[in-house]
Amino acid sequence: MVTREDVENIALLSKLFVPEEELDELTKSMQDIVDFADAINNAPASDEGFDNINNLSNVFREDEVVESFPSTEILKNAPEQAEDHFLVRNRE
Amino acid sequence: MGSISKIHDMLVTKQVSCAELTKSYLDEIEKSNGELNAYVNVTPDAALKTAGAVDKKLASGEEIGMLEGVPMTLKDNISTKGIETTCCSKILTGYKPIYDATVWELLQKENAVMLGKTNMDEFAMGSSCETSYFGGAANPFNTNHVAGGSSGGVSSAVGGNIAAYGLGSDTGGSIRQPASFCGVVGLKPTYGAVSRYGLIAYASSLDQIGPITKSVEDASIVFDAISKQDRRDSTSKGGSPTFDKLDNDIKGMKIGIAREYLDGVRDDVKEAVLEAAKVYESLGAEIVYFDLPILKFALPVYYIIACAEASSNLGRYDGIRYGYKTEHYNGTHDMICRTRSEGFGEEVKRRILLGTYVLSAGYYDAYYKKAQNLRGTIISAFNKAFESCDVILAPTVPMTAFEKGNAISDPIETYLTDICTVPVNIAGLPGVSIPCGFNAKGMPIGMQLIGKSFGEAEILNAAYKYQQAAPDKFIDTKWGVKL
Repeated sequence: MVTREDVENIALLSKLFVPEEELDELTKSMQDIVDFADAINNAPASDEGFDNINNLSNVFREDEVVESFPSTEILKNAPEQAEDHFLVRNRE
Repeated sequence: MGSISKIHDMLVTKQVSCAELTKSYLDEIEKSNGELNAYVNVTPDAALKTAGAVDKKLASGEEIGMLEGVPMTLKDNISTKGIETTCCSKILTGYKPIYDATVWELLQKENAVMLGKTNMDEFAMGSSCETSYFGGAANPFNTNHVAGGSSGGVSSAVGGNIAAYGLGSDTGGSIRQPASFCGVVGLKPTYGAVSRYGLIAYASSLDQIGPITKSVEDASIVFDAISKQDRRDSTSKGGSPTFDKLDNDIKGMKIGIAREYLDGVRDDVKEAVLEAAKVYESLGAEIVYFDLPILKFALPVYYIIACAEASSNLGRYDGIRYGYKTEHYNGTHDMICRTRSEGFGEEVKRRILLGTYVLSAGYYDAYYKKAQNLRGTIISAFNKAFESCDVILAPTVPMTAFEKGNAISDPIETYLTDICTVPVNIAGLPGVSIPCGFNAKGMPIGMQLIGKSFGEAEILNAAYKYQQAAPDKFIDTKWGVKL
């Protein structure tokens, strides 16, 4: 059972705001999707486990120093920047 | 002959210059994109620059590769250096990657002429392309119908002849489903065959880049060009060449049909797929029926795993490093929450919430862990199935392209359209969707051939043989550049 409080809590964890007037609707929608997901609990019990697909294993390489991106390039995409750094927010 | 080899021949025999060809594609985009909405960003300058380089090579008598000068497109979640890459989300508007995706790097080395970036469901989450921030792409066979999703723009562009081919991405069917809806070929490679470096992540254990083309040989040519091992993607292994095996005899090939794949499938689709099975029999293949009961859990398993991974992958959009940032806020937490709430669309938020839910304490064991265990069971079931057959034949989608506006209303109803495509992603297998007929309203029907892990050569071989035997299923639409 998904409650309004669950949705509020998940939204907080997801860093999303849900407007008060949309909470009931979203709770119902979440309940529908969770009911749908619940179908897996009818599946035969399995201890098969899952590591990865196609038995891929880690590919290791030498730890070489290579050139990275210049910070000026990276900062070009920042909505706000200050003194060659990302600006998270202005001081109040 | 496929579009790619046809264009290659035209260029080499100087029937057309690469610049002329590129201009005719750009003109057609200008004419029809208003209705198709396939492209969200057209890049004529870059396209004509590459075309000029190809013409220069041709003029000097240099040999050119098969993909050189061929006009194509990339889905808008494949990073292109200096060219806006938005995932069709408000939260990434204005974002210009500072590096190229490996697939685009490989194609640029071949002088591929990129016409622009194409439309998609926001962050590849959707089955109709309608969750795009820029509005959905239309189906070239009937523009009142959706192109499918999430790679709807690529499929619409290729089906509408305003790109010779394109690259999409497939997490739960996002290449095969729109290819099926738009009457084109879509290949989802084996997980690990194509590098994901530079593909903006939705669900990393399921995502894979692949070609959307007009013919099977085109899909094979593009797959061979992009399936290279890449040290920047630790899950990449590369693929084996497929092109020289396309025409292999399929006499004695065992083609399996899992009965569960036909459950709940519309009659016209089922008939077309069974008709294709008869074509295979006439080619000397053997049809084997079997059961795969675990398939009925594939869809919830997919949504649990995909949303869990998405909730983590999409945590990076915080308004600090790239993309959209809210204007008014009160403190850091408020800034991030506002940015995300204003920047993400409804479906993306829904999936982030579901993903967070199944990963949170108290629900992790019941959902996420259970889904991962079932993933193992599904993989074993496929492995067992492949003991009795070489490839699996199934519908790609239980229906043909639906009318616009029908997908948005009920999320679960929309999720059900992915029922035939998600098992392949869960098991990491390759699958190709090819056209196999039209319904009474003239909308294309697709079928998929599913292969063993890294069995692209086998499924493309089977697909090519079908295409040769039933060429009338692969036809042009009224749109675009006529070759």
